[in-house]
Amino acid sequence: MNVIAADTFDPMIAGLAPVVPGEELEIDELDFARLYEDNFDLLVAIARRKFQVPEVDAEALAHEVFYSYLKRKDEIRDLHPWLIGAICHASRYFWRQNGRRTEQLDHSWAVLRPDPASAGINDLLPAQLAAREILEALPPRYQQILRLRYYEGYSIREIADYLGVTAKYTQKLVMRCLRRAEQMYNAAPARKKP
Amino acid sequence: MNHSDDLQHLADCSSCRQRFSENVLPFNAARRREGARAFAAAAAQLERERESASDIVERQLRATPIEEWPGLAESPALRNNAALEQMSEEVRKRIERKPVEALAIANLATSIAETLHANAYPPAVMAQIRSTALRDRANALRYLGRLDEAYDSIETAEARLGEFPGAAHDRAIIWLVKAMIQGQMDLFDESEQMITAASLVFADVNDLPRFFQAGLVYGNLLGRQKRYEDAQRIFGDLLDVARSTGDDKTQARLYNNLGHCAIYLDDYARANIHFSESIARFTDLGLRAEVPRTNLGAALVLIGKGQIDSGLARLEDARRVFIDLGMMGEAGLCALRIIEVLIDRGDTEQARVLTGAVIDEFEAAGLDTRAVQAVAGLQSSIDADGATAETVRTVHEFVQGLATDQAQAS
Repeated sequence: MNVIAADTFDPMIAGLAPVVPGEELEIDELDFARLYEDNFDLLVAIARRKFQVPEVDAEALAHEVFYSYLKRKDEIRDLHPWLIGAICHASRYFWRQNGRRTEQLDHSWAVLRPDPASAGINDLLPAQLAAREILEALPPRYQQILRLRYYEGYSIREIADYLGVTAKYTQKLVMRCLRRAEQMYNAAPARKKP
Repeated sequence: MNHSDDLQHLADCSSCRQRFSENVLPFNAARRREGARAFAAAAAQLERERESASDIVERQLRATPIEEWPGLAESPALRNNAALEQMSEEVRKRIERKPVEALAIANLATSIAETLHANAYPPAVMAQIRSTALRDRANALRYLGRLDEAYDSIETAEARLGEFPGAAHDRAIIWLVKAMIQGQMDLFDESEQMITAASLVFADVNDLPRFFQAGLVYGNLLGRQKRYEDAQRIFGDLLDVARSTGDDKTQARLYNNLGHCAIYLDDYARANIHFSESIARFTDLGLRAEVPRTNLGAALVLIGKGQIDSGLARLEDARRVFIDLGMMGEAGLCALRIIEVLIDRGDTEQARVLTGAVIDEFEAAGLDTRAVQAVAGLQSSIDADGATAETVRTVHEFVQGLATDQAQAS
């Protein structure tokens, strides 16, 4: 991942005056700066919320998308669909490149230092497996909401912000997800309930 | 066309875009302002270069013999993005008729792009500049049939963008060229995967022309594998999109391709309908030369499938329109196709009459004397009862070669 930033771009070599804080921009530059400022947050938000790209990388991706726009701007018919399409594919490509780089846990360390969450695992495991089975059978959006609330521990308010909806609606959503999970649990054939 | 409904909605609705952004991000005005400033500075630089470049590339190429073009890489006026964009355009203009010149320009562009100072542009822009030059080079090599070199060049072009996920659109264009090269190398599965990946990006960034181009490449790839029903389905799907977007030119091309599929599937009635639709659209668009070309293409396929009478009718129709348009070279080539069929049928008298007519037409139009001599030689062979369909094909290739040479020399 190549983080593009002002400090990797030498304005002297590019034939530009060095950037001085507070310096006045030319008219054309103002237009481009406005375009960037008007849309940057949206692109970062899409990369983060839709694709779970970490914040710093999401900003770098958005920055790259804008630079990519400069070479293609004359053939772009609609700016917003182009920007949104570009950040989505940039995020997917980011994960294709970075998904395999996650370091695996060293097995010997795992044996020496057991996870405290494993305590009493024999008693809890059946219930956890049943919960996971139900969770995986739910629609993706229901899964996401329940994971955020009960696995990640986010508050209703935080989930509402994340989803871009009101807290009241989020509360309803969580209840709906729980009811659906319960229905599926009860409907499951001859399960030995914990 | 879009990956999900909500993103499509975001693209269309400014208030939702604002709400979506505001809900999640910590506000870091300083960092965003600094990014905007760097972006605006780069944008202004590119714009200034474009404004001052004028038609520099066209002038320098015109003033320099082709064998000296590599030396232009040292010209300071050409060592910038604007000049490289003009070179890319020059490659595009020449690639079908003068691929050797296109390759020379693409080589020049690659040589400049690869030796620009690393900090002359932001890294993402530099990667785009380099990958574009390499992509043009790959495409020119593809046209010349130098497929291994073309493949190496397109792989390098792709690698130049490897560190820049944000260059999704550029990468998709590279994938499309790569798919065409792979198709020509008979790497059908790989080519299909590339086209699919590229099409998704083109659809999402709303690049309809390239979306259609990718679809046409895909359909033709299926046709080369004799998967005519699949190709028909692809062209049919594209036709729906072309109809919904009111793109008549693409519709005309798609009907033409559907016509060819129908012939291969032995559905001649449907093929006729498709060709008629294609011709009607080309006529409406004022692309009159495309009409006889469509008929000529259809005729050759029909004759190849043994539908001689329908094929001949289309050839005669195409020849008549070429003559009406004053395209005597193409009319003559069309006549040679007819003569080939007539000789194959044993109708030498009619073939001899038509050959005489072609000689008269070529002479009247002042075409290359070598073409006239070649057709006259054919007439002598017919008179001596020694002409075969193969003889006519040889003359056709020779005359066509002269036409191509003339186009390249002009």
